[in-house]
Amino acid sequence: MESIFEKFWRLGPAAFVVKAVFAAIIGNALLLAFILLRRAYRRRYFARRDARVFEWRQKWDSLISGKIPYEKWRKKPFDRRIIEAMVLDAFEAATPAESARLLNFLRASGLIEKRVFEARRLVGWRRMRALVALGRTRAPEGIPALAEALRDRNLEVRLAALRGLGRTASPQAAEEILSWVSETGLSVPALPLQSALIQCCAERPQILLPYVQQAKGPLREALGRVLGEVATPSLALDLLQFVGDDLDELRAAAARAMSHTRSGLAFDLLNELARDKVWFVRLRAIVSLGKLSDPRAVSALLRGLRDSNRLVRLRAAEALIELKTDRLWILQQVVETQDRYAFHAYLTALENANLREELESGIRANAAVLPDEKRRLLNVLHKGSLTPEKPAEAEAISREPVLQP
Amino acid sequence: MIRFLDISNHTLFWYYVASNIAYLIMLLVALKTSALHQRRLESHCLGWVKQNRMVPPITIIAPAHNEEASIRVAVRNLLELDYPELEVIVVNDGSEDRTLDELREAFQLRLVRAVYVPQAKCALVRGLYRSDVDGRLLVVDKEAGGSKADAVNAGLNAATSPYVCVVDSDSLLERDALLRITLPILEDPKRVVAVGGIIRVLNGSEIAGGQLRRIRLPRKSIEVIQVIEYLRAFLIGREAWAQGNMLMIISGAFGLFRTDLVRAVGGYRSSSMGEDIDLVARLHRHLREKGSDYEIRFVPDPMCWTEVPSDLKSLGRQRARWQKGLLDVLWPNRDMLFRPRYGRIGWIALPYLWLFELLAPVLETVGIATIILASCLGALNRQFFLEFLIFGYAFATLISIGSVLQEEVTYKRYNDWKDVVRLVSYCFLEHFPYRQLHMIWRLQGMWQYLRGDRTWKPLKRTGLASIGAR
Repeated sequence: MESIFEKFWRLGPAAFVVKAVFAAIIGNALLLAFILLRRAYRRRYFARRDARVFEWRQKWDSLISGKIPYEKWRKKPFDRRIIEAMVLDAFEAATPAESARLLNFLRASGLIEKRVFEARRLVGWRRMRALVALGRTRAPEGIPALAEALRDRNLEVRLAALRGLGRTASPQAAEEILSWVSETGLSVPALPLQSALIQCCAERPQILLPYVQQAKGPLREALGRVLGEVATPSLALDLLQFVGDDLDELRAAAARAMSHTRSGLAFDLLNELARDKVWFVRLRAIVSLGKLSDPRAVSALLRGLRDSNRLVRLRAAEALIELKTDRLWILQQVVETQDRYAFHAYLTALENANLREELESGIRANAAVLPDEKRRLLNVLHKGSLTPEKPAEAEAISREPVLQP
Repeated sequence: MIRFLDISNHTLFWYYVASNIAYLIMLLVALKTSALHQRRLESHCLGWVKQNRMVPPITIIAPAHNEEASIRVAVRNLLELDYPELEVIVVNDGSEDRTLDELREAFQLRLVRAVYVPQAKCALVRGLYRSDVDGRLLVVDKEAGGSKADAVNAGLNAATSPYVCVVDSDSLLERDALLRITLPILEDPKRVVAVGGIIRVLNGSEIAGGQLRRIRLPRKSIEVIQVIEYLRAFLIGREAWAQGNMLMIISGAFGLFRTDLVRAVGGYRSSSMGEDIDLVARLHRHLREKGSDYEIRFVPDPMCWTEVPSDLKSLGRQRARWQKGLLDVLWPNRDMLFRPRYGRIGWIALPYLWLFELLAPVLETVGIATIILASCLGALNRQFFLEFLIFGYAFATLISIGSVLQEEVTYKRYNDWKDVVRLVSYCFLEHFPYRQLHMIWRLQGMWQYLRGDRTWKPLKRTGLASIGAR
């Protein structure tokens, strides 16, 4: 028996082209017909839909209060879909009282029940759609169905369930997510998991701790980041165990979390973390030190100002600007460093906060500063570069394509 | 001679068949991918993304050279984008008109010393300005570097976010474009290193207050044909290539990149003629050489609307420049061809670009010449030739209508019936004489490049303000 290639070859180019011509012409006709018919159908559909939406909008209060019997619309899929979409959209911008009213309506009308059923029984995209709707309702009774969907084989369904659980922002949902990840490991990308957990753990961040301790590898890293986002002062002591952790992300999380605590211990540990070998740990520590608003942080922040990483330098500078400590004294310290990167970062933060002129007037008005020192500081601020004590360095700065106003 | 012509015609026949099959496969892949994308979007509520505390900060870099007519509208559009963590850097690339003055007046700029670390090469920076009206806006004023790449590098040096989004300052982004383009990064921030969005034709539409108010098809035929070209290139070509992680072009008018990676490859190449494709090629090279597990994605719904040339001369210049840019990238990267370490980039994407993009105008010209010669010598089967022409015409139309179908089924931006009818009509009309002209422009581009002409001639544009006024 001859192969398909031999058959094709025997046809020769001419026969092939004739067939291809017909195929292409039929293809064109079909595509055109599809576009035009689809347009016509959609036009009719949306006209009908808009009219129906308008009708229901007119009866909105009666609908939500249940004065209109649910049976009147529940059995008509067209109306049911419209009403569900309207209610879910209203949820997004509703006040707590309005949300409670809408949730009551969804419960009483059986829409939640229906979605729970669909989320459990359907598969693929239809299951995903049910999960999204369920998540949008934020109804606690939807949590078990959403949690079941976390075990689906389809990644998209798992992600929809995760987003839905995150939307509920409930510790119960957090427990479901955490028990699932500790059972199956990280089977979804880290970011959606973290987002969902951040929303769900905000109320009770301590539920994360045992899971972080037990987790390993990338999961531990992901949970550590969540911990850093949701940590509260009450967790400060629990977080101490992570300060010396091998995982960079956990040290960063600890640094981030300690910005919420006012204890002296936090200051010392942040000071330590601000010398970490990993730049983003130093960054978190510097930001947290800034948030503590403690004048003792100045030396650590000045060290951060000379960091090899530019983001660390910039955050240290911003933190120094935010400090209530005498800005003139800080400027003197910055100039003393003779580090042009440090000075540049400080100046950037100063100008971004629009405080340069204020500082200049402060220097001029300050009687305690010697005239020579005043001149030197004003000169430095005005020129935007350190005093030319080291000619080679000054020349290097001026050669750089950075402005010299 | 006859034997040579016969071989030549056969070769070109199979070349044409191969190129059409490639397009057909791409169309099918794109239709499937778009349908999946639409369904996936159902589980993404953009409002939720906005509230997400994990969304990464983005710096938008908008280079501007003599853009006094559109700069206010464009910058206002950028500042109104719906994104929680945004910084906008406008680079005034040595404009000789009132671009900087317009910015000064509209956004009350003051001279600052923002962090500027000259990691990527660019021309001398004269000053950095921050807006008093909106603190997120930073303007970098620099001397003209002669290329867009140079200007983007200056913006890159001042950027402080982990992601940079490079846009053209004569383009308009849809309000939710950044939220949409960030979705792949939110899904997988470790692997996704760059994302491209779709570019659509702005001509003919109405703008008010820095936002698109009404989308219409342009009036001129040459602009409508470009609409079809853009739909074909983005909704079919890029959608399909991105599926195999072989996307080689992220349009310079709208693309999102990881800042550290762009810096790691030395930023944009200032001397490059096609800085967008050049950057993506170097990113692929860098990441493949490091053995990284990465993805460069394309998302078809974050839309950027740009003004396209509306006269033949400007269009010809633009297409010649694109061809020069392609050659300028493919030639230095020829060592990536068929090398196992570059995987599918070296085995599929680059050979495709060489064969079906770069050499297409040359092969088409040779094809036309041999067909004419064969016809004169009586060596051409006229019936076969006619059938072949009809097939070529019908198939190319099929691909164009396929791209219109993609637009219809998914994004459906042209709501007016008349617009759709015109769009479909031009799918039948674009093949003659536009395609032949296009071939000549591309040949010109190659010739200019080979002669060493690397100049960048500005295109004639009416500006966003005047488009809005129409």
